[in-house]
Amino acid sequence: MIKGLIIIVLVAVVVPVFFILMWLISAYNRLVALRNRYKNAFAQIDVQLKRRYDLIPNLVETAKGYIKHERGTLEAVIAARNAASAANVRAAQNPGEAAAMKELSGAETALTGTLGRLFALSEAYPDLKANTTMMRLMEELTSTENKVAFARQAYNDAVMGYNTTRESFPTNMVAGPFNFGPAELFVVEKPEEKEAPKVSF
Amino acid sequence: MDFFERQAQAHRHTKLLVVYFACGVTLLILAVYAAVLVLFTGVSASHSRRSAEAPAIALWQPQLFFGVAVGTLAVIAIGSGFKTLELAQGGRAVATSLGGRLVDPNTDDPDERKLLNVVEEMAIAAGLPVPQVYILPEEKGINAFAAGHSPSDAVVTVTEGSVRLLTRDELQGVIGHEFSHILNGDMRLNLRLMGIIFGIVCLAVIGRVLLYARSGRSRDKNALPLLGLALIVIGWVGVLFGRLIQAAVSRQREFLADASSVQFTRNPAGLAGALKKIGGLSYGSRLETAHAEEASHMFFGNGMGESFFHLMDTHPPLAERIRAIDPSFDGSFPAVDETAVEEQPPAVSAGARPMPFPPLLPGMGRGQAGAAGVAAPFIAAQALTPHTGNPTTAHLEYAAQLRGAIPAPLQAAAHESLGACTLVYALLLSDDDDVRARQLDGLAQATSPAVCQETMRIWPQVEVIAAQAKLPLVDLALPGLRHLSAAQFQQFRAAVQKLVEADGEINLFEYVLQKIVLRHLEPSFLPARKPIIQYYSLKPLMPDCAVLLSALAYVGSEELEKVQFAFRRGAQALGPELQPALTLVPQDACDLEQVDAALNRLSLAVPQIKKNALDACVQTVAADGVIEESEAELLRAIADTLDCPMPPFMAGPQ
Repeated sequence: MIKGLIIIVLVAVVVPVFFILMWLISAYNRLVALRNRYKNAFAQIDVQLKRRYDLIPNLVETAKGYIKHERGTLEAVIAARNAASAANVRAAQNPGEAAAMKELSGAETALTGTLGRLFALSEAYPDLKANTTMMRLMEELTSTENKVAFARQAYNDAVMGYNTTRESFPTNMVAGPFNFGPAELFVVEKPEEKEAPKVSF
Repeated sequence: MDFFERQAQAHRHTKLLVVYFACGVTLLILAVYAAVLVLFTGVSASHSRRSAEAPAIALWQPQLFFGVAVGTLAVIAIGSGFKTLELAQGGRAVATSLGGRLVDPNTDDPDERKLLNVVEEMAIAAGLPVPQVYILPEEKGINAFAAGHSPSDAVVTVTEGSVRLLTRDELQGVIGHEFSHILNGDMRLNLRLMGIIFGIVCLAVIGRVLLYARSGRSRDKNALPLLGLALIVIGWVGVLFGRLIQAAVSRQREFLADASSVQFTRNPAGLAGALKKIGGLSYGSRLETAHAEEASHMFFGNGMGESFFHLMDTHPPLAERIRAIDPSFDGSFPAVDETAVEEQPPAVSAGARPMPFPPLLPGMGRGQAGAAGVAAPFIAAQALTPHTGNPTTAHLEYAAQLRGAIPAPLQAAAHESLGACTLVYALLLSDDDDVRARQLDGLAQATSPAVCQETMRIWPQVEVIAAQAKLPLVDLALPGLRHLSAAQFQQFRAAVQKLVEADGEINLFEYVLQKIVLRHLEPSFLPARKPIIQYYSLKPLMPDCAVLLSALAYVGSEELEKVQFAFRRGAQALGPELQPALTLVPQDACDLEQVDAALNRLSLAVPQIKKNALDACVQTVAADGVIEESEAELLRAIADTLDCPMPPFMAGPQ
C-alpha cells in the first residue's frame, strides 16, 4: 500500500519537475541562439560600414581638387562620417542595445543625407564626374551601400525573430529573470522619404 | 579503406554503441530497482518489526520493477531525446554553446585569414561545401573540433591559441584532422554520444531534486532523500561508464583521423609539429570553458587534462600519437614561445595577381568556358572513384591553385551575403542577350533593383571564369549565403527558381547548381528533416538506377549504339545478377525531373548501395574513355546528393 503510494507521489513530483526543467533549459537556449544570431548579423553590417567609412575620406579628397566654392558640403560629409564611425564603434560593442542603435541610426541617416548632397553637387562639375578615381569610388560606395542595406535587412529580420520570441508567452517568463533585454532595429531613413511634401495652393 | 567502408564502419560503430548503452541502461534499471527495494521495503519492514517478526523481503516484485523500469527509461529517453533535439540544430549549436565566435569571412586579421584560406582549400580539395569556421576566443591552448550531422551543417572550430601559435603547415594538419572526422562520419556518432550521456546525467539531476524533497508523511521522512542520494550515486556511476565508452570509442577514432590527415596533406611534419607544440605549451590543449567536458571527445587534443589511469582520456597520449606519425620522435617537447607568431608567406596568397587556371590536363588551357562541346576535357575513369572522400596532396595543391585563380573581387563577393547571392545569380545568367534581359527583369521583380545592379556588376567577371572553377566558386559562396535571414533565403530561393526557368527549360548546369545550393542551405533555414535509411538492398532501386545510368549515357553520346554500350558498362558494374533487370530507358523518360526523383530515392539507401550506384555511374560516364564537362557536372551532382564528397576532377594517374 505504502509502496504504491510512494511510487505515485514520486511520479507526480518528479515528472512535472523534470518537464519544467527541460522546458526552461530549452527556452533559455533558444533565446541565447536567437541573440547570437542577431549579434552575428550585426557583425556583417559592421564590416560593410567600416569599408564605407574608409572610402569616404578618399572620395572627399578627390572631390576637393575640383570643388572650389562649396567647401561646407565637404566638411559636413567628413563630420557626418566621423560621427557615424564613432557611433558604429559603440554599437558594435553592444549590438542591439537601444541607445547605441538609435545613435547609429541617426548618424547613418545624417551621413546618407550629406553624401546625397555631395553627389548632387558633383553634378555641377563635369570634370569631377568624369574623373576615373571619382567614378570608381562612387561605384564602390554605391555597391557598399547596397551591401549595407542587404545586411541590415538580415539584421532586422534576426532582431524581429528575437524580439517576438522574447515577448511571446511563455518564453517571456524566462526572458525577464535571465536578463534578455529587447533589441533595437537598425533603420536608416532616406532623406527624400523623410522630407515633408510641400503643399502649395 | 575507402570512404564508403569508413562510413559503413561508422554506422556499425553506432549500432555497437547502442548495444553497449542498452546493457548500461539495463544495469542502471537493476541498480535503481535494488535501491528502491532496499530503501522502501526496508523502511516498511522496520516499522512492522515491532508487531511481528520481520517478513522476508520479496526480492522480485514485478509491480515495483515495472514502475522503476518505466520511470528510469522515461527519464533517460526524455533527457537524451531533448539533448539530441537541441544538437539537431547542428554544429552551430555546439560551437556557440562553447562560446565560439564566428570568424568573419572578410576578416582583415592575417591569422584568421590564414585559417579561412586553409579551410577553404581543404574543402575544395575534398569536394565538400566550405564549413563555417568558429574561434574560441578565450582559449589559449591549442585545440580544435568539427561538429554537425552532415557535411552541409558542419562547423569547424579552433581555439585562439592554435590560430596564433601554429604555422600554416601545422594548421593544415589540424584542419585535415578535423575534415577527416567530417568525412569519416564521426560527427554524428559524437553528437549521439553527447545525447545519451546527457540522459544518464538527468537521472542524477533528479536524484539531487529528490535529496531536498520533503515527504509529507513524517514516518517516511527519510525515504525520498535517501532514494535521491542513491539516484545521484547510480547516475554518476552510469555517467562514469558512459564516459568510459565515449573515451574508448574516441581514442580509436583519433588515430584514424590523424592517419587520414597525413594522407590528405602528405605532410606528417605539419601534424606532428602541431602535436609537439601542444606538448611544449604550458596550456597544452586544455580548455577553460565549463561545457568542455561534455564535448571533450570531439576535440583535436585532450581537452580535460590527464585522468586516472588514462581510462577516461578521450585521446591517446600525445607521444603515442606523434610516434605513430613520426617514428623518430624522442619524446621531448620543445618549449613554445607563447608570444612568437611565426610569419610565413602563404603558399597562395588570396589577393595575388590572378594566375591562369590550372589546366585539367596538360596542354588544356582556359577558354573552354561558354564553348561547351569544343575541346571537351577528358579524364581517365580509374583516376576518379578511388578519390571519393579521399582528397590527396595533389587535390590540395590543385584546390589552392583553383582558389588562387578566382579573381580577388569574386572571392571577396563570395564572402558576404549579398555578394554570394549575386554570384549565384550571375552564374545562372545566360549568354544569350534576349534570355539574359528576361532573366534580369525577373530578378529585379523577385528581389530589388539594387541586387540586380550588383549582379550586372560582377557578371563580366563571372562569365569569363573557366567551367571547372564554377562549382568550386559555389562551394566558396555557401558560408556567405548562410548569413541570409530566413526571409532573404525565401527570396533567394524564388529568385534562383526564376532565373533557372527564364528560358523555358532547365539545362544541366542550372539543375546541378540549384540542387547543390539548396541541398546545402536548406538545413540552415528550414527545420531539419532527418533522412532515414529506407533501402538496404539494390532491388527496389533498380528503376532509379536505370534512369540515372540512361541519363548519363545520353549525356555522353548522341549515337544510340554508344549510348547502349555505355549503359551496359554501368549495368555490369551494378552486378551481373542484376543486369537482366536493367534496360535502357528512352530519352524522354529520363529527363532531369526523373533523374531528380531517382536521386532522392537513392539518397535514402545505405552507404554501400550508394557506392555501387556511384561506381556504376562512373563506369557509364567513362565507357567511351573521356569524361566531358557536362558528364562531370552531372556526376558531381549525383555524388553530392548521395553524400559522397567528390574531389575536383583532375588529370593524371594518382
